[in-house]
Amino acid sequence: MIDFTLLAELLPVFGQAALRTAALVAAGMAGGLLLGFAMNAMRETGLRPLAALYWAYTTLWRGVPFLVHLFIVYFGLPSVGLRFDPFQAAALTLAVYSGAYFAEIFRACWQRIPRGQVEAARCMGLTRRQVFTHIACPQALRASLPLIANQAILVMKESALASVITYPELTMTAGKVVAEQFVYVEPYLLLALSYWALAVLINRLGGWLRRRAAL
Amino acid sequence: MNAATLAERLHAYLPVLLAGAAHTLMVSAVAILAGFALGAVLLGLSLARGGRGPLPALVAAYVSFFRGTPLLVQLLMMFYLPSAAGLDLPPLAVAMVAMAANSAAFQCEILRAGLSAVPAGQVEAALAFGIAPRQVFRYVQLPQVARAVWPAVVSEAIDVIKNSAIVSVIAVADLARGGRQIVAANFRPLEVYLTVGASYLLMTAAVFAAGSWLARRTGKGRALSARVVNRTAIRS
Repeated sequence: MIDFTLLAELLPVFGQAALRTAALVAAGMAGGLLLGFAMNAMRETGLRPLAALYWAYTTLWRGVPFLVHLFIVYFGLPSVGLRFDPFQAAALTLAVYSGAYFAEIFRACWQRIPRGQVEAARCMGLTRRQVFTHIACPQALRASLPLIANQAILVMKESALASVITYPELTMTAGKVVAEQFVYVEPYLLLALSYWALAVLINRLGGWLRRRAAL
Repeated sequence: MNAATLAERLHAYLPVLLAGAAHTLMVSAVAILAGFALGAVLLGLSLARGGRGPLPALVAAYVSFFRGTPLLVQLLMMFYLPSAAGLDLPPLAVAMVAMAANSAAFQCEILRAGLSAVPAGQVEAALAFGIAPRQVFRYVQLPQVARAVWPAVVSEAIDVIKNSAIVSVIAVADLARGGRQIVAANFRPLEVYLTVGASYLLMTAAVFAAGSWLARRTGKGRALSARVVNRTAIRS
């Protein structure tokens, strides 16, 4: 049923593709975390227009499928002069899309900071900015770690859609093997196992980070 | 579809987009309903006979596979593996089965969280009063679970609608596919895909609004449902 020599032949090909998926996920995560953090910091300023911007961003980006965002960026933006190669388009879309979810994660963690702490700090004469960096940040960031690890697995799963705009990551690679060699079971088996391994890896990494950050 | 003004063009897109949206809604509705039923069956299997035997591990493996790999991969596997064995399945049927199988894994965990959100003391107390386990489930657990899980189910429904865009990859004529068809004819990708995005937003916002309206109407069980949403929604 399963051709093991074929599996051995495919292994290096899938290894390469897994590295490309990992690069995509890393780029998407880095951009998404920065954007999400910045968006939440904007919301925390308490300024109306910035809060409205936060709401519009999280609502618009979370209400539309990732695939459609990807089409807008990769196929749509060139008509206004913004051209991206498949990796740039996928990484950028992944970053902005996951940024909306990271912003919501940070918001939830910031809102969990007891009000009394903030009030006490303000009474002691700390500025809003000092409360943000010295009181809220250390606690909220620590609380956000498990949620970020969960979201990282989601980012990994969305990254499979980069295959639709022909970035040669795992899913695209499996599709190519199927189309060229007319074998089905082995590439799809490897594909599922690769993603599963990546998910386990991300979980481990998240657990390790959480232990390092624990008090 | 190359009419002069934007309004005229949008009007020309409408029939294709509406037909696509109907497919999107149909696939999503089947996925959510069948996924709920299958999720409940899965949870029942993993809890049957006090969780002894190989069933809980099998259900855990099912859930782990469907939550840990991309939906696109699951869809492609379900579409191409049977065809490799000489079985040609219609894309629409494969799309519905794949989406339902995927949603079942998430809804199984939502229901599990809902069940564990009911305080154990209530069940113990009911059993101590001599109420039959079946009745404890029917009158003590079920009403609370139902109230507790539906915000998470609404959030899952929104995810299902969004995820359903993926079925366009196996040529199901859904909303995303409709967008691609229009673009292939008129080469105006930006305005077409923005319109498609707005259409999805309309659908997810409608489901969200219906969920919030229901939340205000029922009101009770908010603490329970918050716990369920915390435990499951972010993951989905």
